[in-house]
Amino acid sequence: MSGTTPVPGGGTSAAARGGSAAAAGARRRRAPFGAPAVLLAPFLVLFTACTLIPIGYAVYLSLFSERRSGLGFGGTTTQVFTGIGNYTRALGDAAFRDGFWNTAQYCLLYIPLMLGLSLAVALLLDSALARAKRFFQLALFLPHAVPGIIAALVWTYLYTPGISPVVDALNSAGAQVDVFGHPLPAIVNIAVWEWTGYNMVIFYAALQAIPREVLEAAVVDGAGPLRTAFSVKIPLIRASVVMVGLFTVIGSLQLFTEPMILHDVAPGVVSTWTPNMYSYAAAFERNDYGLAAASSVLLALAAAALSVVVTRFTRDRGEKRTSKPARQRAEKRTETAR
Amino acid sequence: MSSPALHRRRALRLAAAATATVLGVTLLAACGSDGDKSASASDAGSDGKPVSITFWGWAKGTKDVVQAFNASHPNIQVTFEEIPSGNAGGYAKISNAVKAGNAPDIFNVEYPQLPDFVSQGAVQDISKLVSADLKGKYLPQSMELTTLGGSTWALPLDASPQALYYRKDLFEKAGVAVPKTWDEFKGAAAKLKAADANTRIATFFPDDPSTFEAMVWQAGAKWFGTSGDSWKVDMAGAETKKVADYWQGLITDDLIRVQPSFSQQWTASLQKGETAAYLGAAWGGGVLKSTLGTDPSENGKWAVAPMPSWDGQPASGMLGGTTFAVSKDSKKAKAAVEFATWATTTPEGIQARIASGSSSAYPADPELVPVAKAAFKTEFYGGQDIYAVYQDAAKAIKPNWAWGPTMGATNSSMKDAFGKIGQGTTVPSAVDTAQQATLAELKNRGLKVAG
Repeated sequence: MSGTTPVPGGGTSAAARGGSAAAAGARRRRAPFGAPAVLLAPFLVLFTACTLIPIGYAVYLSLFSERRSGLGFGGTTTQVFTGIGNYTRALGDAAFRDGFWNTAQYCLLYIPLMLGLSLAVALLLDSALARAKRFFQLALFLPHAVPGIIAALVWTYLYTPGISPVVDALNSAGAQVDVFGHPLPAIVNIAVWEWTGYNMVIFYAALQAIPREVLEAAVVDGAGPLRTAFSVKIPLIRASVVMVGLFTVIGSLQLFTEPMILHDVAPGVVSTWTPNMYSYAAAFERNDYGLAAASSVLLALAAAALSVVVTRFTRDRGEKRTSKPARQRAEKRTETAR
Repeated sequence: MSSPALHRRRALRLAAAATATVLGVTLLAACGSDGDKSASASDAGSDGKPVSITFWGWAKGTKDVVQAFNASHPNIQVTFEEIPSGNAGGYAKISNAVKAGNAPDIFNVEYPQLPDFVSQGAVQDISKLVSADLKGKYLPQSMELTTLGGSTWALPLDASPQALYYRKDLFEKAGVAVPKTWDEFKGAAAKLKAADANTRIATFFPDDPSTFEAMVWQAGAKWFGTSGDSWKVDMAGAETKKVADYWQGLITDDLIRVQPSFSQQWTASLQKGETAAYLGAAWGGGVLKSTLGTDPSENGKWAVAPMPSWDGQPASGMLGGTTFAVSKDSKKAKAAVEFATWATTTPEGIQARIASGSSSAYPADPELVPVAKAAFKTEFYGGQDIYAVYQDAAKAIKPNWAWGPTMGATNSSMKDAFGKIGQGTTVPSAVDTAQQATLAELKNRGLKVAG
């Protein structure tokens, strides 16, 4: 709705125009919360019920500890306010810190590997040389359709010595593989298998959206397929790469299913292998809900901080690149002035 | 570059990221917080209607026991739900249900974890429902472990004396006699390995500290004690150290396999004859039989012997062992205790369990041992009288052992440390880690620790 409502019967008179503009302005002033409130209400209700209240409850839980009397049998149990006691307990626990260290190692190994692979496959599929594109797209995406738990179970079977045909074949060929002794590569492998195809589809879609004229121009300028890929295609789908990277970082912090399944068969994957597993173990093995809540709040803060850092880092680099010529011009000017 | 819109977006993004992570745990904690408490109005069955109680457990043969009970008790109907074994997630399931208020009326818990459940307030004091007469029926060592702070909290199903299960053919082939002492056991391990480089004598379970704990108990250690209102924790005594050093020695010399308990790896290596023995308890006889007995060619290969000891004299700890506990909020405690009494102290209850074929539980009520013996089909053990072995071991269970109130924390820290054996961690250092974790947890719960 704007101020230029046409008046029936031809031309818009100035009076009519001014009048309707004033009316629209009044409407806007009179009901600043009307339509937006109605439209936002369902979201806000769900957001409050499913997000804000649970977070508030977790924060509340994290401030209390249970204390028992006597030997702890049949006596009274009291909820004691401990302030940041649970937080210092979590941070002071080497197992919790180890969880973050494991996750960091996992990120360092997994993210470059998975991003590189899915980008490479997407570029290959996008290149003029690719055959049977549909088939490969589907085949590579298929692992993602397998639920994470099933994938972890299948891989566990393939990892278990004495059962796995793969491990047995490698062993009889003289290579002594001990997958469970090195859980990190084992878990990274499952994740790469699961997610490469999915992210490949995202990259492939972004590549398809690149205007063909740009690519033609690159060819006319004499760029080969490799040069086109690195100098034209990748920079143009940078936004997608950043987005996938961000989601992957956050997803990595929430790593749970795969190590939890491996935990049953590989004792090296301890019950607190990731921060998420630490929270789980605190809540359900040690019944320490305060510690579980505190550690999950800490994990949430870490995830938030990390996402801020990642977005800030990638955006700054983008800004620098666009302003480079301007900066060069400015530098030249100062040089001549000197 | 810092417009208010961007600030808002950043704040939103922060909130979204925080949301995603916290949601995981809180949803788990919050789900089902108002349970089905109203359905308990019809307790006692005095109005003629049958009382119906719910029961969670995983002990072998339980389904048959429940069926037999329901058939013979029209006034009480038990609904049984099989849950994963405690160590494999069953305990987490139970404590969650108790916390959420939708726990079953009665559930199985093993001796080591009972004090933890009592301390959490998940279990009801059933002292008033258990007569002195009933208490007198059970093996004293079992009753000791279910009586905490002067009250009775559970009824014991089985005593679980230790036993050594071994492959007769493999031992004979390697010219190894059944070891009576732990020194002989080490010698036997070396001989078996020398006869076939792929064979190890038995398995150290890094995921299940209870086997190690039974070994420590057998050696005469006492980890937990009380004086007045304080707990005493002694996991660093000479006996414990002796046992820890011994097992570390076997691991270092590669004389024993390190594999998770009852895992596919473990089963596969038993099937292939690469592991020649299993250090278990009475109930393990049924587990071994139902795991391997599906292949008829395994019949008659296995035999049972007393657990080796330090001085060659019969000695045993208890490895696990199941009890029936009534959950905190149950309003049908009377019916639940009646069911537990029937399942643990009547010939019909024991008969139904053992006749299922998968259980070799050693009844905590010694009078029922002949019933169990008659019901157990022994062709898997070549007709051996395995209950005679259990009976001698049960007499040799060392008295006065107690479990602490924080076994959840104790065991999970020991389990995690055992998992890192070979990567800078040893059995003795794992025990030390567990002691520290235990003391920290006691303190955290506001319990006093002496000395």
